[in-house]
Amino acid sequence: MSDTPDILTCTDLAIGHGKTVIMDRLNLSLAPGKILAIVGPSGCGKSTLMRALGGLDEPLGGKTTLMGVDLAAAHGQERQDILRQSGFLFQGAALFSSLTLRENIEMPMREFLKAPRKDIRQLAEYKLALVGLADAMDKLPSEISGGMAKRAGIARAMALDPAVIFLDEPSAGLDPLSSGRLDELILRLREAYGTTIVLVSHEIPSILRTADFCVYLDPDTGTMSAYGPPKGFLQAGNSPKVHAFFSQARFD
Amino acid sequence: MSHAPTGLPFARTEVLADGTALVTVGGSWKRDQPLPEIIIKGDQAKVVAEALTDFDSSLPAWLYAHFKNIRQLDLSALPVRLQSLVKMAEKASSEHAQSDHDGLLETFGNWGVESSGSWGRAFEHIGHTALGFLRMLVGRAKVNWGDFTLQLQTAGVDALPIVALLGFLTGLIMAYVGLIQLRQVGATVYVANLVSLAMTREMGALMTGIIACGRTSTAFASQLGSMNVSQETDALRALGINPIEYLALPRILAVTLMVPLLAVFATFIGVFGGMVVACAGDLSIEQYLTQAIRAISFKSFLVGFIKSIAFGFIAAWAGCYRGSVAKRSALGVGEAATSAAVLGITFIVIFDAIFAVIFNLFDL
Repeated sequence: MSDTPDILTCTDLAIGHGKTVIMDRLNLSLAPGKILAIVGPSGCGKSTLMRALGGLDEPLGGKTTLMGVDLAAAHGQERQDILRQSGFLFQGAALFSSLTLRENIEMPMREFLKAPRKDIRQLAEYKLALVGLADAMDKLPSEISGGMAKRAGIARAMALDPAVIFLDEPSAGLDPLSSGRLDELILRLREAYGTTIVLVSHEIPSILRTADFCVYLDPDTGTMSAYGPPKGFLQAGNSPKVHAFFSQARFD
Repeated sequence: MSHAPTGLPFARTEVLADGTALVTVGGSWKRDQPLPEIIIKGDQAKVVAEALTDFDSSLPAWLYAHFKNIRQLDLSALPVRLQSLVKMAEKASSEHAQSDHDGLLETFGNWGVESSGSWGRAFEHIGHTALGFLRMLVGRAKVNWGDFTLQLQTAGVDALPIVALLGFLTGLIMAYVGLIQLRQVGATVYVANLVSLAMTREMGALMTGIIACGRTSTAFASQLGSMNVSQETDALRALGINPIEYLALPRILAVTLMVPLLAVFATFIGVFGGMVVACAGDLSIEQYLTQAIRAISFKSFLVGFIKSIAFGFIAAWAGCYRGSVAKRSALGVGEAATSAAVLGITFIVIFDAIFAVIFNLFDL
């Protein structure tokens, strides 16, 4: 796999809100089919980094590439095409409140696929069944729990079989069983389609189960302080702060 | 995954000696192509792959759709990653729920139950508002007075330009139409009576009420509706604060106070609008004003003023009520805003008619 170009890279990336930089000097690269977890204390800029990596927000400095395309240089149609090949799960699931779950999943398919209506319906039902929502397809987002909305959000992120999926706190609000099943789903997706997955999470056990790489954002230094396989973070090695974060979360 | 599609997706079925349906799938399965259709009989099936070159999620979705109700399903001859994708969906979902579609009679019945329920809720809301008002008078209600002053500004002062414009044009139109008729009998001087009386008794209050419905009711319905969506009203309830007292009461009070003032303002502007037309040709300013002042009695003023208080209350209440029962979706908030304006205007016209009868009975 070493000759495969990285699907996602960032060089000297600076992110923030408005003009305030909250993290800079971020350098990452991720090969296709790998799972990256972004961790760090609350408010350190994890979601902001993910939005910048996915091309939803403009970074304050540096360069990001997604699927080999420089996001700063991609405008108009090119940018839309890149965004279409990536799926996003937002923190609050961001389901369209006036559509049923099935319609939420069907919506991007109807817009972008030329398949007959029946096949689209079949695809949407399958994606909802994958996240365990086969019984709730005709419900509105207001009629389901927060955990169910999260799962429906994941189904919508998967709707167009994206090459990269960005998941913002996918297992927050899920019971341990659903959370375990979600980890399994993430691994299966990667295995079956070679999907690259970037996730923001606080669930250390889930990160240890799924992630190939882990990046720790340190608000004290304003940059990333560790990057590597998450199991390495558990050993008292390079950074005592990262080790403390992981150990604390693990034994909580 | 291979990227060289060699043929269209296909599926064929045959029945084995033991009754098992043998389904063979193959070709290149892509979401943008029409997928094959098969019918499987019995509750045992085995799926095998033949020349399966390429697939995306359309194949596991197709397999899931066709085999989810088969009791004994053998997928062992399929590629392992495909097997796992189908099994994943099967495991995650329990029995597939069939959605119930209502017949005509059920739909009609549901409509009946829902509409009677909505009237019930409307009366309940009025009751709670009245109760909240009483509690406020004895100092026991928690009212957001910040909202009250804000609404005095937004529903009252900020509405002055639009009320002035519409009031002016109403007076102008009435004078214009009146003059055409009155010229025929040579009584153009009475156009002042017509405009001033109509503005004072009727049009001042009615126009202001309708403007309040368009501006304020819809605003209230959207504000309270989106607070419903984001569970802010639930948060208030959880804090032991009655949302009707906290949110609806200050709004209703502010609008009930401001609409009569706006109506008086609209009346004056309307009379002025009539004067512009009347004095452009037929009358002098002095004649017009003398006639107008003579025509307006305290009784007429009182009639318009009482009406405008009621219209202000209706407009504000309609907005608060529809907002508080809005469905928790973007569509629900939009529906609440629309229905608030419709409800408000309908009630204002109905009550205008009722007032006409009542004032007639009391000879006002």
